[in-house]
Amino acid sequence: MTPRLPPTPFLRRDILGGLGSIAVASMLRAEETWRPPDGLPMIPQRAKRVIWLFMRGGVSHMESFDPKPMVTKYAGKSIGETPYKDVQNPEKLKKVRVVVVNDANGQQRNVIYPLQTGFKRYGDCGVEISDWFPHIGSCADEIAFIRSMWTTDDNHGAQVQFHSGRHMLEPRVPTLGAWVTYGLGSMTDNLPSFINMGPRFFDVRDGHYLGPAYDAVNLKVDPKNSLTYAAPEFQIGRSQQEAQFDLIHRLNALNAEQYPGDKTLAARMKSYQLAYNMQTAVPETMNLEAESEETKKLYGMDDKVTEPFARQLIVARRLAERGVRFIQLQHGDGAAGAWDSHSGLKKNHSSLAQQVDKPISGLLKDLKQRGMLDDTLVVFATEFGRTPGTQGSDGRDHHPFGFSVWMAGGGIKGGTIHGSTDELGFHAVEHPHYVTDVHATILHQLGLDPHRLEIPGRKRLERDFGKVIPQILA
Amino acid sequence: MLALLSSGVWAVDYEKEIKPLLKERCYACHGALKQKAGLRLDTATAMRKGGDGGDILAKDHSMLLDRVTTTDKDDRMPPEGEGSLLTAVQVAKLQEWVATGALAPAQEKPEDDPRAHWAYQRPKSSGHSMDELLAARLGAKNLKPQSEAAPELWLRRVYLDLSGLPPTPAQIHVFLQDTSAPARLRVVDHLLSTPQYGERWARHFMDIWRYCDWYGLGAQLRHSQKHLWHWRDWIVESLNADKGYDQMIVQMLAADELAPEDRDNLRATGFLARSYYLFNRTTWLDETLEHTCRAFLGLTMQCVKCHDHKYDPIEQTDYYRMRAIFEPLHVRLDPWEGESDFEKNGLPRVFDLHLDQPTYRHVRGDEKNEDKSKPMPPGVPRVLEFASYEPKVVNLPPASSHPVLLPFVLKDHLDAADQQLAQAQKAGNADDVKLAGLRRAMIQVVHAADLALGDKAIAQAAALAEALYLAAKAENDLAQTEAAPKAKDADKKIKTAREAVEKARKKLAAPGDAYTSLTASLKAQEGPEDKGNDKVQSYPKTSTGRRLELARWIADKRNPLTARVLVNHVWARHFGVPLVADVGDFGRRALVPLHQDVLDSLTTGFMENGWSMKWLHRTLVMSDLYRRSSSNAGVDPQTLATDPDNLFLWRMNPRRMESQLVRDSLLHLSGRLDLTLGGPSLDPAKAETSPRRSLYFIQNADVEHRFLAVFDNSNVLECYLRNESVVPQQALALTNSRISRDCADALAVSMAKLDTTAFIDDSFLAILGRLPLEAERKASLEGFRALNGDRSLFLLALINHNDFVTLR
Repeated sequence: MTPRLPPTPFLRRDILGGLGSIAVASMLRAEETWRPPDGLPMIPQRAKRVIWLFMRGGVSHMESFDPKPMVTKYAGKSIGETPYKDVQNPEKLKKVRVVVVNDANGQQRNVIYPLQTGFKRYGDCGVEISDWFPHIGSCADEIAFIRSMWTTDDNHGAQVQFHSGRHMLEPRVPTLGAWVTYGLGSMTDNLPSFINMGPRFFDVRDGHYLGPAYDAVNLKVDPKNSLTYAAPEFQIGRSQQEAQFDLIHRLNALNAEQYPGDKTLAARMKSYQLAYNMQTAVPETMNLEAESEETKKLYGMDDKVTEPFARQLIVARRLAERGVRFIQLQHGDGAAGAWDSHSGLKKNHSSLAQQVDKPISGLLKDLKQRGMLDDTLVVFATEFGRTPGTQGSDGRDHHPFGFSVWMAGGGIKGGTIHGSTDELGFHAVEHPHYVTDVHATILHQLGLDPHRLEIPGRKRLERDFGKVIPQILA
Repeated sequence: MLALLSSGVWAVDYEKEIKPLLKERCYACHGALKQKAGLRLDTATAMRKGGDGGDILAKDHSMLLDRVTTTDKDDRMPPEGEGSLLTAVQVAKLQEWVATGALAPAQEKPEDDPRAHWAYQRPKSSGHSMDELLAARLGAKNLKPQSEAAPELWLRRVYLDLSGLPPTPAQIHVFLQDTSAPARLRVVDHLLSTPQYGERWARHFMDIWRYCDWYGLGAQLRHSQKHLWHWRDWIVESLNADKGYDQMIVQMLAADELAPEDRDNLRATGFLARSYYLFNRTTWLDETLEHTCRAFLGLTMQCVKCHDHKYDPIEQTDYYRMRAIFEPLHVRLDPWEGESDFEKNGLPRVFDLHLDQPTYRHVRGDEKNEDKSKPMPPGVPRVLEFASYEPKVVNLPPASSHPVLLPFVLKDHLDAADQQLAQAQKAGNADDVKLAGLRRAMIQVVHAADLALGDKAIAQAAALAEALYLAAKAENDLAQTEAAPKAKDADKKIKTAREAVEKARKKLAAPGDAYTSLTASLKAQEGPEDKGNDKVQSYPKTSTGRRLELARWIADKRNPLTARVLVNHVWARHFGVPLVADVGDFGRRALVPLHQDVLDSLTTGFMENGWSMKWLHRTLVMSDLYRRSSSNAGVDPQTLATDPDNLFLWRMNPRRMESQLVRDSLLHLSGRLDLTLGGPSLDPAKAETSPRRSLYFIQNADVEHRFLAVFDNSNVLECYLRNESVVPQQALALTNSRISRDCADALAVSMAKLDTTAFIDDSFLAILGRLPLEAERKASLEGFRALNGDRSLFLLALINHNDFVTLR
């Protein structure tokens, strides 16, 4: 199967990392002793990998993981008529940075819109979750809910902000997945270590000044067409290709005698080994035939509605098993993202929630039964919440002042309810967290200190590093 | 722990543990750059002398320790917002150092005056060539230079470096007949004279100058401008003509002020049009300012937006004085001769629109918090102000402020009407023929009215002509709508059309003197709310001259940075590693480069030779260094041990082809490359199999050419030097893509008549630019047999040889 390539020492950084990466190398000053990270944890490591589930468009926090009975109580009234009118104090609204001035969306909505679904308590922790997410509810005691997120972009550029920590009007910087793979390198010889599945729109790069080697590799769950150039675009037999890779390797090895100590050549030889392996490893990962019926059912593969996301999540688990470091999933089509329910929120959210709820709970349960939840960090996030006020007759607008995300596994304390918004779900009031606090917490669990990931000449702001959220750690 | 420290077991080393900490965290405000509270921390003596509060190292009460340990927000150091507090270990070290008497070397040198930074001094030539200087330094270090590379490798280097395409076997054979220096110079001069040279180097400058075709959300333009390819063509043509780099800079920043009627060079201002951003003026100007400074001057300005520079003697006010230079700037499309539809073609250009718009400093960089007490006058950073900045207002010729006066506008509009007329005649539709005739008449009268600006009689005639045309058009539309009574919403449409006829008839009864001017320009929207932008047809009659003055200051021989930065960029692209490590930062963080004499000699030579890029290329590629082998093989062991990273340049550095070179070379090898120059950008998705050179594909943040993307394509947001990553996707692209296979197939056909040995030799020559070594020939024969003698597959394997993508 594998061509007869003599083993080369695994050059962790050289393959997917910084070798010859001029963007990084050019920052080096001759007299400074700075070196890129060595790929080893800097502090005790609690999680080895991340499965990042991003709901594009903005999930209503109050109709998911932060139900607010007061919006039902005051439904139809303007915010100014409620006891909570101070939420609209202009001072409190200042943190927003508008990109699209006077856009139809991203406005204050005054008339309160009632909750569009019920909610109940789940698990020993008794967390209130809306009726649209019963399966995730059933995993409540594995999850730490953060109900006090805030961000500054009131439009969908907030997707970039959630991944990178920077507002759309600021320069692009590496995303979390790029930092993680830059800091820790790869755990596999067969697959790239940073993978994205699902649609992206506002910024399709991750590495930025770390270099394109840290961009996520886009995979599709279709086993026949999962990765660009992964399969020959012409007829060639397996044995022929094997002979070809063999010849490439022999010629490059002879070349190495002419160019002793050429690290780029060594890395290229290694990359051919990885490429060869990827041609089988990628379709093999995408092929779910070996999965038991029980497992498939657990994720909801047996139901048309849940099947697409269920398939992605089983693939995500398989990628995790095969050593991929950062698996980034984007849910929701369209430029803005499907969750963007300016109108018809009830229909929109109930249907989208149905698509993801069972698959996500399946993932958590499956990881747990395989003993992988201990060192796999699962993150559920979205770019912002939605307004307590109504937009049009039956929608909610973008809401950056307060929203919810959650994390599970990887040393996270399950059954934790952390932070809160006010009674209308307007502002994050208790333990407010900017998006980089989530990044800091993830990096901490992975054993990385973001300050030590700095690159000379690319000074980061204190806010870019974020602060670890200690209350949700086991 | 403290006890341990003070017991002296861990003596604190000032030079190693204290000074670097203070330098990193404190010098920006208390060093040579600034002396807040009159205090400097860059020598122990200075700390003893102290600032406004006296000695800060007193053993019994050290203010230094007080300030780094206090929890009082107003007193803490570093202050809030200037970075985190020192760690407990760092504080303990400081405590230990103070407690043990704050020892420091007796003759401790303070930080140098920031103005004395090497890059801020004008370069001086040493009077020696780069080879003499490099040889002298190698000799002094007792390092032995590597021997020459095989001549065919040199040839492949110059071909790829200067034209972006590898030499053909025939070209290699010819060269090997005579590899003398004069023959090499002939090759270099020939390559520099081919149009492919301009394309090759335009791509480098498109990286540095952030070339980016327009993009947005769907049809909405949010970034850059339509038809920006005119700027790309200007770059290619300017390089091919060997226009002086100083002239190029002036034209890119201010061609509209320098020579407003020189339409060819107006294309240059695409450099500024590229940064257009629909939603936020500050973001637009920030990018303009930051990248103008970084590209031409190697100055980093992004941090100065919010606060004074932490390393360089540049203040926040310098930033806003520079912003004031660009404050009046706006973008529009002028007509392109031969086309009256701006969707199809147009000339993106800049001009000064709001001549009196004041610039205010943004407090801490917050655009919502302007310091309106003091408008900022335009200016350049004081530290580099070798001549006073005095912009002179430019009076613009009439056609610059009224594009309708451009000589070809009337003809192009009439041509469009004639086309409509011809179509109507062909279709035999009398109404349409009449309508087109009326349109033609209207265009003529309206144009006359536009020229005779303010003449009431002609304006009335224009209004009448327009009313006649519009009335006829309304009748026509109504007739068409009524002819299709079963169409969707027919009733509604007929009603609307009837109302339109009513309105047009009323207008015709009393046309007045208001008419619609010919569309001869398209002003870019000033924000998404600016809906009337397409109605604006006249612009200010003067320009502030601010950009021209800036451009002349940048392109001045007295500017110590401009030519140096360019030489460093070109050097990096010929030798793999720049002389100044960060090509975008020549500020104080850039240490004196090891080869400063080389940089400065080249820089002065470059300026003395009319800022000629071709002179620079010739000088670099004809050097001894450029001829050297890039291998460590056979090198003097002492040399390798002393300088394993080749800092002293005892050998050549190998480089990887940029993405465009990989693709263009494959097409060239297969004989399919289309050498057509210039023209509109091609959509890579629709032109996957196009044989055009890669620089002609659309490049923006939305569209990506999937093959180019794999080999570190340029990032349109910022790309001062390409990455050279090695990732498995590159291997997959070269083994599995159609373009590789097509190349292999075409080569196989061209070599069909050769016997096996000759075939293998020629394969090496075509793809790697050299013949195989004996061991390679043997391995190739074995591999060829293992491939059952499939020539395409063998060639495909060679395309995957590391030396194909490498400039050896």
